[in-house]
Amino acid sequence: MSALLEIRQLDKHFGGLHVLKHFNMTLQAGEIVGILGPNGAGKTTLFNLLTGFIPADSGEVMLHGKSIRQMKANAIVGMGMARTFQLCRPFIGLTVLENVLVGSLGPRVKHHDLGERAMHLLSQVGLADKAQQASESLSYGDLRRLEIARALATEPELLLLDEPFAGLGSIEIEALSALIRQLHQQQHLTILLIEHKLREFMQLVSRVVAIDFGEIIAEGSPSEIVNHPRVIEAYIGKQNPLDWDPHA
Amino acid sequence: MEILIYGAVTSAIYAMLAVGFTLIFGVARVLNLAHGSFYALGAYSAYVLTTLAGLPLWLAALLSIGLVAVFGILVEKILIRPQRESQLGVLMISLATALVVEQVLFLTFGSEYRNVPAFIDTKFNLWGVDVAGQRLLTLAVAVVAIGGLYAFIQFTRLGSAILAISQDPLAAKYMGIPSDRIFSLVMGISAGLAALAGVMAGPFLSVQPSMHLLPIVKAFAIVVVGGLGSIPGSIAAAFMLGYAETLVAYGISGSWTEIVSVLATLLMLVFRPAGLFGKRAAF
Amino acid sequence: MKTFKGLDAVSSWAGLAALVLLAVMPVVFTSNYLVGVLTVAAIYGIWSVSWDFMSGLTGRENFGHSLFIGVGAYAAGFLNVQFGLGPWWSLPVSMLVAMVFALVLGFPTLRLKGPYFALAMLSSAVIMQRLMLIFWEYTGGEEGIQDITPLIANHLHYYWFVLAVLGIVTLLLSWLAKSRWGLILRAIRGDEATCLAAGLPITHYKILSLVISAAFAGLGGALYAHYQLQVSPQLFAVVTSITVITMVYVGGMGSIYGPVGGALLLTVMTEGLRDFGEWRLMVYSMLLIFILFFLPNGIIAPVWHKWRHKGQQP
Repeated sequence: MSALLEIRQLDKHFGGLHVLKHFNMTLQAGEIVGILGPNGAGKTTLFNLLTGFIPADSGEVMLHGKSIRQMKANAIVGMGMARTFQLCRPFIGLTVLENVLVGSLGPRVKHHDLGERAMHLLSQVGLADKAQQASESLSYGDLRRLEIARALATEPELLLLDEPFAGLGSIEIEALSALIRQLHQQQHLTILLIEHKLREFMQLVSRVVAIDFGEIIAEGSPSEIVNHPRVIEAYIGKQNPLDWDPHA
Repeated sequence: MEILIYGAVTSAIYAMLAVGFTLIFGVARVLNLAHGSFYALGAYSAYVLTTLAGLPLWLAALLSIGLVAVFGILVEKILIRPQRESQLGVLMISLATALVVEQVLFLTFGSEYRNVPAFIDTKFNLWGVDVAGQRLLTLAVAVVAIGGLYAFIQFTRLGSAILAISQDPLAAKYMGIPSDRIFSLVMGISAGLAALAGVMAGPFLSVQPSMHLLPIVKAFAIVVVGGLGSIPGSIAAAFMLGYAETLVAYGISGSWTEIVSVLATLLMLVFRPAGLFGKRAAF
Repeated sequence: MKTFKGLDAVSSWAGLAALVLLAVMPVVFTSNYLVGVLTVAAIYGIWSVSWDFMSGLTGRENFGHSLFIGVGAYAAGFLNVQFGLGPWWSLPVSMLVAMVFALVLGFPTLRLKGPYFALAMLSSAVIMQRLMLIFWEYTGGEEGIQDITPLIANHLHYYWFVLAVLGIVTLLLSWLAKSRWGLILRAIRGDEATCLAAGLPITHYKILSLVISAAFAGLGGALYAHYQLQVSPQLFAVVTSITVITMVYVGGMGSIYGPVGGALLLTVMTEGLRDFGEWRLMVYSMLLIFILFFLPNGIIAPVWHKWRHKGQQP
């Protein structure tokens, strides 16, 4: 079975900085994979490259065997790959419901009653009761859910989540984790997510790709990664080691 | 040969205008549509101080530059800074300011062209070409002014502070650089440069209330071609535009020069939005 | 649950009532002068509504709206005087001409972030004004094109015609603004990157909305030409653009109907300021500065909104 997403020798420089070094990775349909790396490792750059927000220097990205590296961001969404952003950006001036509606206006949606579909999505993420609220008034945790609802509205096959747990408390993280797992099962989504703390997605993902300084330093199951010497080395000195709990 | 000299003079004026325009953008991210007004005020101020107040020309010139620089600082502090959140708010308010200035000039002086006296009345003959002394002086002054500015930015501590803010305003703030004061300083320099252009070019370019518009259009064109925020880019592009216009004026007709800037702008935006030396692309 | 609301009943009736009131006023007060003022006000209303549709919704402010107004007016003038065509041809042709300009200018500038669009439009309008003067042999220079034939000779009837056009344009653009089109435009204002992430080709929408905005601005220009019976380069002036923008700000950006009120209010005010003569433009500019600082949401739309939702809790 061919992979859903194939990344080959993806490379990017920012001026003199070699941010992503000949990155290779494959993603099979139905997986939940996590990309782990300390800040500055190149994770968000990878996302921006994959989703067409910045152009790559060289390499190839294939979605369903089709090359998407040169495609524009909105066209890539039309191919079935949706993303959320690290810093939540709701549409200012629009209600929660309208935010999701905008996501439904893309090329993949063939539904007739978009309003009904949007409400359905909102109830899936638990925001149905806030549908008419101004999107700027949402709490941080709710904003994350809105981001996910908006991304889901585009009818994706592959969902890219950029640090979905950042800034959330442990209870909210639990809830969001459960939501992601639920969506993965119900909607047969493939999910790729970025985080810089392993604890958050230990339970969630089946495979972890650890990166640092733009290249892969380890790959494997969460428990393998936790004890991997190179990964530990990458984190010591970069973050508060107390944040790092291999037995969490 | 004529083209070479006249082109240089035109380019020099454009360079003074463009450098100021791009400077305040590079440092404070402010696109100041009142920039042309500084140019106009420079010329009018020189006119008033010499004709009505009877001051010697060199004194009038210096005073004009100083007054306009102060005016620029006030405009920045009172009108522009509160709008800084929204780039469009800045555009709106600076445009409105430019119009108010235009109206004030119109109401005070009427719409006839005014005569700003020249520093040098004699004509020189360079390599077989008759050139007005004033034009040559303008070229020389421009070179000195821009060269001085460049030296200031490269070699003084204050200059480094300005560079720092333009590269990373937040980091600069954390390092204790007083960004607000620097903005005022840069605005003053920018306004002063424009006023200098007005004072020098006033004698041979038209002086009337709406004279602020074309400089803005040309400055924008130059900055787009050279790259927003890049001083060397602005200088290079100023020369390109200056010579392109001079060539068009000699080759086709003087009327078509206006189209050069607009065409250059649109073409650049289509093919290379970051400009020739642009640090940040427009995406 | 209906999601894309059409214009609700109250607003529709209010709009209709306002139109009727406006139509009847000059009949009641039997004044030719009033008809003239109101005709100009209505045309400014068309210009303001068209500006609001693009810039008010997307937040990408167009500083060169006068360009579309001017080319529409000059197209009418050329067609009528130089080519001798009947005046009714002006209407569709002026719209087409304006739309072409919008495409040519919009394509390179709307793709980009930042101030390029606003400044390029401003520059283009300034250049157009210069060009009209430079090529005076063809355009009539400072005096422009004279002796344009009117569309409808009777002033009152022409006024009603213009009013009808205003009503239709406002209705059409309000409807578009409330449809998914308007939603996308407002989302573009909110965050363009997120729009892209939602799969929307934002540049297409921006350009399309500019084209629509330009079409009606040009139409207004043609109507103006057939009212004044002459066109001059003054139409391209920055002042025209600023006047329109001020009217939109007073009326309430993004509301579509607000700018109509803004146009009426300011035109009437301008007439009242006639005694000030040369000070009028100055007053406008200062008014704009004042509004930018103290009333960025305008007067008319917020007041109407408050009045309507007095009893309801947000």
